[in-house]
Amino acid sequence: MSLVRQTTNGIYNLILGLAVTVKHLFKHAITLQYPKERWTMPERSRGTVVLLSDTETGKLNCTACLMCEKACPVAAITIEREKNPETKKFEPTSFTIDMGICCYCGLCEKACNFSAIKLTGKYEMSIYDKSELIYDMDFLQKLGRDVKYEKRKRVVKKTAVKKATAKPKTTEARAESGDKKAEGTSSTKDDGDVKEKPKNETEEGKE
Amino acid sequence: MTVKELKTEEFMVNMGPQHPSTHGVCKLVIKMDGEEIKEITPHVGFLHRSIEKIGENRTYAQFVPYTDRIDYVASMNANHAYVIAAEKLGGVEVPERAEYLRVIMAELNRIASHLVWLATFAIDLGAVTPFLYAFREREMILDLFEMTCGQRLTYNYMCIGGVNWDIPKEFEPKLREFLKIFPSRVDDYEDLLTNNPIFLYRTKNIGILSKETAFEYSVSGPSLRGSGVKWDIRKAESYSIYDRFDFDIPVGYNGDAWDRYRVRMREMRESAKIVQQAIDGLPGGDIQTKVPRTWKPPEGEVFTRIEAPRGEMAYHIVSDGSTKPYRMKIRTASFCNLQVLPIIGINHLIADLVAIFGSLDIILPEVDR
Ligand code: SF4
Ligand code: SF4
Repeated sequence: MSLVRQTTNGIYNLILGLAVTVKHLFKHAITLQYPKERWTMPERSRGTVVLLSDTETGKLNCTACLMCEKACPVAAITIEREKNPETKKFEPTSFTIDMGICCYCGLCEKACNFSAIKLTGKYEMSIYDKSELIYDMDFLQKLGRDVKYEKRKRVVKKTAVKKATAKPKTTEARAESGDKKAEGTSSTKDDGDVKEKPKNETEEGKE
Repeated sequence: MTVKELKTEEFMVNMGPQHPSTHGVCKLVIKMDGEEIKEITPHVGFLHRSIEKIGENRTYAQFVPYTDRIDYVASMNANHAYVIAAEKLGGVEVPERAEYLRVIMAELNRIASHLVWLATFAIDLGAVTPFLYAFREREMILDLFEMTCGQRLTYNYMCIGGVNWDIPKEFEPKLREFLKIFPSRVDDYEDLLTNNPIFLYRTKNIGILSKETAFEYSVSGPSLRGSGVKWDIRKAESYSIYDRFDFDIPVGYNGDAWDRYRVRMREMRESAKIVQQAIDGLPGGDIQTKVPRTWKPPEGEVFTRIEAPRGEMAYHIVSDGSTKPYRMKIRTASFCNLQVLPIIGINHLIADLVAIFGSLDIILPEVDR
């Protein structure tokens, strides 16, 4: 008796499962033929890191404040900078990102107060040699040419620049003086950053 | 000569390190008597990245991306466990909206994690179809994550003091759409598997984990609940805002592979219920409390734990008042859950070991850290 019951039960459930499969037979495909078709990456997509340039002057937005270098958890960013004798402002002389060790966390973008660095939706970066994954400044700038972005408010930028230039320091001196000094400048800058950011985002959320 | 007179001896088999059904790099050295398992010795450590030590060499904020890598299938929960610990250490208040967003993301990730488990568990047992369906639904969740934080696997979504990004405006309609269709999709999986005679044959009375053994080895999560213990940190030691939501803790009876399967299936429905309540009650406001960039929590130590999809995930952080933790200990569920495998796996056939291993839902990066 129980054997009959078991068998009918089993057959019923097998058919039930089969029915689910058949139901899906007539639905359209959800896959994408990759090289021919591509996903549109969402706006916030965190792929290749690029450096952004000013849309008018075409110069890099980066002021070589080294905040992103400090924020990076894997030390993928290396910046060398020099003071421009004319404008008395720092300018990056070399800016390299090792994409091979970058973990695409986005902390550099979060740390930057000058809308100078961004993670974009670009993801096709396969190469044959590992050394080609170390992107230099020119390449990063080239990558960032067509990236649309919203510049942070000028006000924030100006005050932040003042602070940065008020304490001229070389990379070594900053490194030697340890965390404490850097902390002072960073936390003041941070205020401007944090104030602005949640505002933008909450607005976005409410819309 | 009859079969009985034949001289037989036990022999050793290496299962792994590269074995598809170990879901990572785990080596099981199995002593076999014919087809029957007599002894199992798991060898772990292939994926050891010394994350705890890395944690001691990174600032508190910098460590968040690393937590993603502890449990890459449920990164949101791993993030959550860490930020809760750090916030408790520094006494940081989290805005209400951020708490809701955290719960939504953590529960969605729990569903995604269980879907990965379901897919791989089914495929281990030879059922390929649920694999495709489960990954299709997981894709919807990953799309939600991607539009919010830009990544599909390693989110780095939560930060100390809140969350990094607010949800975009497309998020809510998409989420509601998902919540609407998801229960019927779970019904589909259940139709495919739950009472399927082959599936039942492969999982019923296989790998029975008794309550006592589970306690002895501090098994946690759905594997523990499958043995009939109603223990869930979300209820027992409510963290974040879980006390505001109404949900059940599904439990099993026998503690076999099928019970663990049932618990996870029902947990997915419960999680969907929580997400529904959270999105309905989502308040406005800030998503982040200001935390200075070089944040120094006071001296002291904390221990916090959360219910991750695989069980209890706990952080013990000792601070010496500097920007980096002095000591960090991470307790992950998979490591403890793996320890019962040598006990519940013996006297089964080798094909059943795959089912038992799968039903424990172990993820190897979490075992090794
Ligand atoms: S934080 Fe921004 S401005 Fe400062 S060095 Fe980095 S990219 Fe340049
Ligand atoms: S995304 Fe993260 S890992 Fe990559 S360069 Fe920026 S901070 Fe470093």
